Amino acid sequence: MDIFLQQLANGLTIGSMFALVALGYTMVYGVMRLINFAHGDMVAASAFVGLTIYTQVMGQATSLGAVIAIFLLSAGSMAVVGVILERVAYRPLREAPRLSAVVSALGASLVIQNGIMLIWGPRMKIFPELVPPLSWDLGGVVISLIQVIILALSLVLMLALYFFVEKTRMGAAIRASSIDQDAARLMGINVNSIIALIFVIGSSLGAVGGLFIGLYYRGITFNMGWQYGLYAFVAAIMGGIGNIPGAMLGGMVLGLFNAFIAGYVSSTWADAFTFILLIVILIVRPTGILGERVAEKV
Amino acid sequence: MKAFRKFSYPVFFAVMAVLPHLLNERWQAVAITFLIFSVVALSQDIVLGKSGMFNMGQALFFGMGAYTTAILNHEFGWPILATIPLAILIPILGGLLLAGPIVHLRGDYLLVTTIGFNIVFVQVLQNNLGGVTGGPNGIFGLDSLSLFGTQLTSQVSVYYFAFAVLLLTLWIMRNLEKSKPGRALHYLREDQLAAESIGINTRLYKIFAFGLGAGIAGLAGTVYATQYSAVSPEAFDFIQSVLFFSIVIVGGSSVPGVLLGVFVMFVLPEIFREFATWRFFIFGFAMILAMILRPRGIVPATFGKIPKFLIKGGSHGA
Repeated sequence: MDIFLQQLANGLTIGSMFALVALGYTMVYGVMRLINFAHGDMVAASAFVGLTIYTQVMGQATSLGAVIAIFLLSAGSMAVVGVILERVAYRPLREAPRLSAVVSALGASLVIQNGIMLIWGPRMKIFPELVPPLSWDLGGVVISLIQVIILALSLVLMLALYFFVEKTRMGAAIRASSIDQDAARLMGINVNSIIALIFVIGSSLGAVGGLFIGLYYRGITFNMGWQYGLYAFVAAIMGGIGNIPGAMLGGMVLGLFNAFIAGYVSSTWADAFTFILLIVILIVRPTGILGERVAEKV
Repeated sequence: MKAFRKFSYPVFFAVMAVLPHLLNERWQAVAITFLIFSVVALSQDIVLGKSGMFNMGQALFFGMGAYTTAILNHEFGWPILATIPLAILIPILGGLLLAGPIVHLRGDYLLVTTIGFNIVFVQVLQNNLGGVTGGPNGIFGLDSLSLFGTQLTSQVSVYYFAFAVLLLTLWIMRNLEKSKPGRALHYLREDQLAAESIGINTRLYKIFAFGLGAGIAGLAGTVYATQYSAVSPEAFDFIQSVLFFSIVIVGGSSVPGVLLGVFVMFVLPEIFREFATWRFFIFGFAMILAMILRPRGIVPATFGKIPKFLIKGGSHGA
């Protein structure tokens, strides 16, 4: 039972990180029908940018204000990278065959990943301990302060995003653009700014996810974007890609599943089980758990 | 252009046929790598380019063939050439079984599922399931080629083995284009619903394409295992699949395009070795640039011999 509760806590933590990153995939997909393969590498880049801001700009301060500043600056710089990425690599290909945009995304992913390697080097870096290493023992279940912060902040961000998309005029414009870009344009929505906005939101959420990964796992490598990005992407697909609550649900399901596999089976099989779960879900529900069954129009 | 094409193939074959005698050992090895990866990229082209299925797991079938050869040779002492039938059949079987339940999935879902298969495959190899895959280190120390009791230890014989496999693949692809299944796949790729409505069994042909691609990739795997006399899981990682995927799309899913892509991706880095750390950084930019400048690929494929006056609007391929 202890293992169960412990892995439940760990799973929720990992799951909320997956969910944050998955939101970036799913929002971009929702509007552009494009798998943004570079998103995972932006998540990795965010951890490195955060590290550099911590050492160079903040002078290794770990006060609350400094930590908040690190988060804001990292998220801000990734938002800028995201908008540039869309402008340079994706916008020229909007009318092109879909696979061309996919390859462009893969190219962008290689550029960012190897850019990180060229700037920060190929070896693993240790992310600073920004949060005091407190933890509580609740009857055999150890929960750390980092876990609490990750979980709470992720929930706040996800709820904020949900209300933004569902309840505001801007959110309505995002939803309209994801249903039909041309019709949205006819309604006076500037689809280009909506897409830029989506890259701002998605990239900054991913940036927060990247910092969480740094805080939680401590070791960061230039190529970790593939790994975490792929997991988050799987989470987005599981939930039904393009669907915002689906990405949150998918992230949590995947995090819990992973934690239980690691706890009860073996972490050396985690990848295999994750993808088997994904394949089974897709065979049963071809568009994900919350994905809508869209009838193909002729 | 047409006259150029007419001459370029015989010239290409003639150059490739004498090439190993002009190169030293190291460049022979590079040439063999080029041949092997060309075959895998062409097999990927059958599934992705010719049939339009978003397959990002072709390294799986490549690895299946390589491991079949390695295991049969290393564990059971079969000569390398004798493993060929199984190294083709097992990936075909794998392709049919894996494709069966997933071919109905829409584009991107199919893509992530095939990535998934590839990752599961690599993890199975790494965890040494059944105790025959050699775990993370793989299997090494395979025999060299032998034919009727003669040992063919020189690298030149591996080169001709690889070259023969490439010729076979090109022949299959040429025939495919002129045959009923090839036309069916082409319609499928252009418009699945229309293909279905004129009586093409889309499910059957999709699975067929997967099986055919898998078999060819498996044969390439045998050549790979022979050349390196070793196999290891990371050689068949899904990153490799991503490279093959990109090569086909950037190349334009035509034979010259794919060969050019393999050359750029695997041979150029050998020439510019001092830029090794910059390799993927530059490739990334090249991929973006290539797609922006030529969204249908460097050398876009044309299908069959459709008279010009029948092509309306000129939109070709999707």
